[in-house]
Amino acid sequence: MALVLILLPIAAGCALFLLPRGERTISRLAGSAVAALTFVLPLVAQNGGEFSVRWLSRPFTAALHFAWTGPSLWLVLLLALCTYCAIVATNTAQNRSMIALLLMLEGCMMGLFTARDILAFALFWDLMLIPPFFALIEWGTHRDTAWRFLIYNFSGGLTLLLATAAFGVLSGSTDVIGSTHQFAGSWAPWIFAGFAFAFAVKTPLWPLHTWMPNTYAELPPPFVAVVSAVQSKAGLYGFIVIALPFLRTSMAEWRWLIVALALVSLLYGAFVALTQTDMKRIVAYSSLSHLGLIVLAIVSANPIAIKGALVYIVAHGLFSAALFLILGYYEEREETRSVLKLGGLGAVNPKLAGAFTIAALAALGLPGLAGFAGELVILTGVFRAGYFWPALIALIPIVIASAYMLRLLQDTINGPQLADIPQRRDLTFAEALAVAPLLAALLYVGIYPHALLAAVMH
Amino acid sequence: MPNFITHQDWLAITPLLIAGGGALIVLLVDLLWPKHSPRAVSLAIGIGVLLAAGAFAATTYGRSYNAFNGGFMLGGFAVVFQEIIVLSAILSLSLFGTFGRDDRMAGITALLLWSTTGAMLMAGAANLMTIFLGLELLSLALYCLCGVADRAASQESALKYLILSSTASGFLLFGMALLFGATGSVTLASLMLPGLAANPLYWMGGGFFLVGIAFKLSLMPFHVWSPDVYEGAPLPVTAFMSVVTKAGTLAVFARFAYALPAGGKLLLPFFVIAGVSMIGGNLAMLAQTDLKRLLAYSGVAQAGYMVAALAGASALGMRYAIYYLAAYMFMNLGAFAIVAVLSGEREEGAQIAAFRGLGQRRPWLAAAMSFFLLALAGFPPTAGFLGKILILAATVNAGYAWLAALLIAGTAISLYAYFKVLRLMYDPHDQPAPGPRTSAPLAYAGAALCAAFVIIMTFYPLTPSNVLPLVK
Repeated sequence: MALVLILLPIAAGCALFLLPRGERTISRLAGSAVAALTFVLPLVAQNGGEFSVRWLSRPFTAALHFAWTGPSLWLVLLLALCTYCAIVATNTAQNRSMIALLLMLEGCMMGLFTARDILAFALFWDLMLIPPFFALIEWGTHRDTAWRFLIYNFSGGLTLLLATAAFGVLSGSTDVIGSTHQFAGSWAPWIFAGFAFAFAVKTPLWPLHTWMPNTYAELPPPFVAVVSAVQSKAGLYGFIVIALPFLRTSMAEWRWLIVALALVSLLYGAFVALTQTDMKRIVAYSSLSHLGLIVLAIVSANPIAIKGALVYIVAHGLFSAALFLILGYYEEREETRSVLKLGGLGAVNPKLAGAFTIAALAALGLPGLAGFAGELVILTGVFRAGYFWPALIALIPIVIASAYMLRLLQDTINGPQLADIPQRRDLTFAEALAVAPLLAALLYVGIYPHALLAAVMH
Repeated sequence: MPNFITHQDWLAITPLLIAGGGALIVLLVDLLWPKHSPRAVSLAIGIGVLLAAGAFAATTYGRSYNAFNGGFMLGGFAVVFQEIIVLSAILSLSLFGTFGRDDRMAGITALLLWSTTGAMLMAGAANLMTIFLGLELLSLALYCLCGVADRAASQESALKYLILSSTASGFLLFGMALLFGATGSVTLASLMLPGLAANPLYWMGGGFFLVGIAFKLSLMPFHVWSPDVYEGAPLPVTAFMSVVTKAGTLAVFARFAYALPAGGKLLLPFFVIAGVSMIGGNLAMLAQTDLKRLLAYSGVAQAGYMVAALAGASALGMRYAIYYLAAYMFMNLGAFAIVAVLSGEREEGAQIAAFRGLGQRRPWLAAAMSFFLLALAGFPPTAGFLGKILILAATVNAGYAWLAALLIAGTAISLYAYFKVLRLMYDPHDQPAPGPRTSAPLAYAGAALCAAFVIIMTFYPLTPSNVLPLVK
């Protein structure tokens, strides 16, 4: 069953390329149907869609082993939901290519999140870089962006590969995700370093983040919604399912470095977000800040903090997807992303402004929305784990988050209207269809986070 | 010690006799045909002969036999190498659909078959004489093949190859002479004799021998011939040379390396050279504008990966070196097949600039080319990815973690070079360059076969078990 989840979107993506170049409607309908199917399938199928075939028996055992148990399920659902919304929101002349690439991206990431084998994980890790790379080549404004994205992330993929090989050789098997055993030995800290580098590049953590702002700014909105909401979680997911169960002691040896990097990311992201004028960049840097908090939670290795991290992973996925889609709508209408050129839009298209407000408030951690639940649980856990000062420092960027998110809202929705552009229509039905599920999920998780927590920690 | 040639001995070299004798048939048909035999006839006979040789070699897979008093060892190791050599010869031959003059086709096919015979001999060679015999048979035919095109570059390439490769052969032969002086025997098994380490002749001889091998494998800094020769030689010949020379030489190196007691200190510099090739070869790729040169440097680095797998002379390392060699064959020949489809007789398609805008002009061809380049860079889901992880595992297992680290660094560099081509194909800002629209059904079939195997090998990683290079 898990195999269907991986192969169906990839096959559908390939099939879409057979349609004529300018095709718009069929690809959108078919794409969203496939994405919806991948959302429903994990909910109805039994026993986590277990699929396993022996792959290697020497030099270590490896299997093409996929299932969506534990935290995987939430990431699978998040991915399917975000992909669905992104496809529904896709509305350009190149619909066909974009939706095809989105579906391929979904399939690759499904493989990553359902992999029960580290080697299979590494395989999909590299594979999921290709669709965004082509998206950047096709729709990016600077050629260097695609390169930087690929070189950084593939370098991470290579250290991941080396770490996987070393892990496999020394422990005898990579078919281990989902189990727990502490892996010790003089090599363990270096193996952890190999994994951690890959995860830190992908998340990203300061100072490995330099590929991220341009990538997020130049990817078309549906793409960046999926990449920032879900692909950036691959590293965090890796920390949770590989680093914590197998290399916890090695992680403890590196913990101050990681805590320091996480705190710098938190603060740096927040302060830079304050200074940006490009709407997408504000959200990109806020992502850097928010994901630093999750890394902090994971490295504290406190069970409560990790629960919080999972909730926040989902929450961040939901609100950043919603934000990027909505910013895409604004960009389409105003033909600019600069907050300096915008203003007073709340009066022109109130429904769109309303959706924007909900997403932005979730991002700044308003109680009742998903972001708050995650932040609160994380801070409690980090504090309990004895990281008093880091927890205290982590509060600062949460306050700053209010500042930059409210500034983003004020500069666009409120204030005087700066330019008169005719095509400013309000949220259309199709657009609403794309963001409504995300906003509803934000509200649901915010009010009832237990639904998530209970399912994750059984 | 029996002095006569037995029935078993003849059986062991039957695949070689088929390939070598098949060349005579090709020439004979050409002679008897009114004017010249058509291209299709020569190619068909050539491919048929190779298929027969491959099939016969396959039947001897399980057997282990020491033919000609240890001159030629039959067994899983030799057979696997022979199959790889035969398959690459078939794939290269299939690229000849659009290259070379019709009236020369019989000669070309015959030379290619003889060259293949030489490489097959190297695969089983276990004494110094047969090694040299095989190497020279392979090389002599290749010198001529490099010069078959009516271009100055082709003839220059043949001359360069002749001179430089002969120098390398000289090194090899000198090393062999010294080794013979040290051991008093031409068999590789005599390298296992105790007390050799005290003999300076052994070290000198081994050193010269390895320099010759490094030359033929085009490891840095002994690679300088390969980009020039690859660039000038006709495309199918380049494709053939890039895999078959490496396969034959790797087999010889493996026999030598595994014969040394416990891996041998002698080999350490060789593994350092392999490390240098991984970095240097990939760096040099960045500066290339000709795809054949790019693939030549890529071959330098890939040879480094294969040698790295043999570090520590472990049983697993040998299997993975062979796995990677087979993967390299499919990835590399697949890429060559695409270039062949895009090229006319003047080989304008070999310029990287010819790939500009290919994604718009011929999307399927561009997709196939991207696939092979990604595979060479080690992207999943290809055999290049799995091959790299297997080599990493083997080197880490054998205690050569620094080689694994160099492999990672080299791969990171190579990515940029392969993607340079990819970017040209898909960059929407680039105007498509006009190119010839050739149809080469054989090359298409070859590329499809390669692509299929690159994927199949990833998920069914067959690494045959009896591939240890026996010498006794």
